Amino acid sequence: MKSAAASLDPSASRPDNGQGPRMAVMIGGIWRRVRLAQRVLLPLAVAILTLLAWEYGTRLAKISPLLIAPPSAVWSTLKESFPILLQQAMPTLTETVVGFLLAALLGVTLGTVLVLSRRVRQALYPHILLFQLIPKVALAPLFIVWLGIGPTSRLSFAVFLAFFPVVVATMAGLMSADRDILRLCTALTATRWQTFVSVRVPYAMPYLFAGLKISVTMAIIGVIVGEFVTAQEGLGYIIMFASSADDTALVFAAIAMLCAVGLSLYGLVALAEVLVQRRLGVSITSSEF
Amino acid sequence: MSTAASGTKEQVLAVALPVLVGLGALAAWQIVTRAFAISPVLLPAPSDIASSFGTIAGVLARNAWQTGSEALVAFGLSAVLGVVAALVLTSSAVVFQAFYPHVVVFQIIPKIALAPLFVFWLGFESPSRLSYSVFISFFPVALATMTGLDRADANALRLCRALTASRWQTLFLVRVPYALPYFFSGLKIAATMSVIGIVVGEFISSKSGLGHYILTAQSRSETTFIFAALVVLCIVGLVPYAIAVTGERLARKWWRG
Repeated sequence: MKSAAASLDPSASRPDNGQGPRMAVMIGGIWRRVRLAQRVLLPLAVAILTLLAWEYGTRLAKISPLLIAPPSAVWSTLKESFPILLQQAMPTLTETVVGFLLAALLGVTLGTVLVLSRRVRQALYPHILLFQLIPKVALAPLFIVWLGIGPTSRLSFAVFLAFFPVVVATMAGLMSADRDILRLCTALTATRWQTFVSVRVPYAMPYLFAGLKISVTMAIIGVIVGEFVTAQEGLGYIIMFASSADDTALVFAAIAMLCAVGLSLYGLVALAEVLVQRRLGVSITSSEF
Repeated sequence: MSTAASGTKEQVLAVALPVLVGLGALAAWQIVTRAFAISPVLLPAPSDIASSFGTIAGVLARNAWQTGSEALVAFGLSAVLGVVAALVLTSSAVVFQAFYPHVVVFQIIPKIALAPLFVFWLGFESPSRLSYSVFISFFPVALATMTGLDRADANALRLCRALTASRWQTLFLVRVPYALPYFFSGLKIAATMSVIGIVVGEFISSKSGLGHYILTAQSRSETTFIFAALVVLCIVGLVPYAIAVTGERLARKWWRG
């Protein structure tokens, strides 16, 4: 009542009734904006300072540009050899995307089978865990023995590396559903299929996407290691070639290109996660591990 | 009675099934390679691999020692450096905000691509492999520990302030215990990454070590020796992981006990 009367009467003392809270809201808004700016500007400042230190540090200390190319040299190399880098990025990108998609498909399928059948899970899960732990990168030469030095061996190696995180994440996710809700489903005589689709799958999403994020980085690693050991084409080949030719500017340019590829693929997975969560109304987000 | 019996049956199955699958896979592998007379260059039989250990045990042991010891040193260094970096970077809100996004980005980018640069800068000897391995296994530890230190329960922190606890007391009594599970999840990733780092380094630069041995065997089409070396590498690779798991158990006992 009192506040309504105050707003009706313009002569009422403003500082007490109207402006006090409004000021607080305004200060809060400014404060929030300052904190947002801090969260964006601080990392940006660090990045710029690092680049400046790199540029002028290498010049002042007279470090040979062959050893550590300054950012300006990397930038001009990037502009100069952009067509070649783009052309070499294509096989790397396609192999990574196809490898990741295959790994995701196979991983989700196997993970689901393992959750649905307890006996299969008991029989296979310890082996999958063991495969998660061993340094699978060391198997790259075997894939070359079996599949040659073409794209097939790199693709299968990428699938092999990217597959296991998805299996483990799918399993953990499908088994993470709230017990009370599962019991409610039983009480409401939901069929196994209904429970699976409307309870287990939504609960699995944060886990699944955490696994997919690991998987997409693993797929890139698989393709790059494959390109290192087969040395045919792709950004990995450019990096090897340029470093043996003492061209660090080109190495850095290729790495920058590769990071752009890696970050955009990771971004796409993160975007898919947001879209799926919005659709399902799940608000839990996955972390990096 | 019946539930107890089924309980024991479950326990037996939980061990027996994976062992049976493992043995069955080995048997199938052996029978298929023999029955179809598959060339040992393509896929050697398990018995061939087992008997090859007799001829190359000495070479494998020497290479395994080099790879294993380098991986352990890299693992230890990345654990220490990761924790130190996390403590420094969480020491103030401004520093945390300034560096956290960079640590996340470095965690995501394919760092494996930088291996040739380390060879270029530091040569073909172990310093280049060690620093490369530390470089790729450092970030999981740093990121996980930073996240853990940052996510300590807000109520517990408020209580600390109310009880006028010093910064150090808050750090060791609240933040560190909260961060431990995160730290160990990062440490387990670092355990596998440290071995991967050394092996990739050996692939592209080394003149010895299991990675180099595998690549040489591949170029000579000695697939049997590749498999033998992989078996040894898997065992070597489990050592840092076992250390991380044991560390986690001990830490849990210490902080909860």
